[in-house]
Amino acid sequence: MGIVIAVISGKGGVGKTTATANVGLGIALNNKKCIVVDFDIGQRNLDMILGLENRVVYDMVQVMDGEASVKQAVIKSKIDENLNFLAASQTKDKSTLTSEKVKKLIDELKDNYDYVILDSPAGIESGFEHTIEYADKAIVIVNPEVSSIRDADRAIGILDAKSQKVKDGEEVEKYLIVNRISADMVQSGEMLCSEDILDILNIPLLGKVSEDRGVIDASNQGKPIILDNKSDAGQAYARIAGRICGENIPLKDVESVSTGMFKKLAGIFK
Amino acid sequence: MFSWLKKKQSASVAKDRLTIAIMSDRESNQDFQFLDELKAEILEVVKKYVDVSSVDIKKEVEGDIEALSIDVELNHKG
Repeated sequence: MGIVIAVISGKGGVGKTTATANVGLGIALNNKKCIVVDFDIGQRNLDMILGLENRVVYDMVQVMDGEASVKQAVIKSKIDENLNFLAASQTKDKSTLTSEKVKKLIDELKDNYDYVILDSPAGIESGFEHTIEYADKAIVIVNPEVSSIRDADRAIGILDAKSQKVKDGEEVEKYLIVNRISADMVQSGEMLCSEDILDILNIPLLGKVSEDRGVIDASNQGKPIILDNKSDAGQAYARIAGRICGENIPLKDVESVSTGMFKKLAGIFK
Repeated sequence: MFSWLKKKQSASVAKDRLTIAIMSDRESNQDFQFLDELKAEILEVVKKYVDVSSVDIKKEVEGDIEALSIDVELNHKG
């Protein structure tokens, strides 16, 4: 039986879809059968980040409505055969989702994959509630920035009130990814450090991802940054995916300038 | 040097402001946790006396005053 992980953020534009793509591919690269599902109905984006936009024939709403089977709709990635993808509907409205339909789809995916990763829409509307409803775990993506952190706390609050697991008296494990860290700014006191964010949100840290120009370059090409094992963000996602798959990988300090300085020095000697 | 000191503070200002904002967010969300239950119970009680179709409860905040407004909609007469 697969594990269902919802990727949530509260605020939009913090790198949630990028994180979903990289976490999904990272799990696949760890030899686990993984499917990523875009729950952001009406704003299909994950297909672009994964470079699969031209291969989408059926979307997840069509599967839920019985117009296509899971088999017909799921796209197998050419990057890694363990990575599978189910697209969001671009035409339908978020209101098309119902608890029954979502449960049926997720139950079927759980039977077929080790990991089911759900990219939730931003905000805390019904689309978000349906994404977290049947999740076993959640990954919360924040930027070290006040509005992102506040919205994340609100999203966590809704998760803790509305998920089926919580209603059944269990707990949904939540893990934090701090995205777009600038070591220079943390060191100069202009940016919240991960420890501060952890103090505020009070959930365990899954990983820290540095601000990395390569992320945009990667999405331009539809090749998630985790494939660039020289990039800071790519390495960070590789560590994160390893942790999700049960490996004990210590957290790397990406907030000290020393790593940046070292790099600059290394650059001189290149 | 002083500008450096000033900069040093903005992350800690952010932390203080967030801690307070989130505390008050969580409190007001706590208030909402019981609303569904309250709605169901009010519906049960009122139903004993009149035929109701729905109960709607809203929390309203105006300045320093917080109020719960409860709308009870009756079923149409026979």
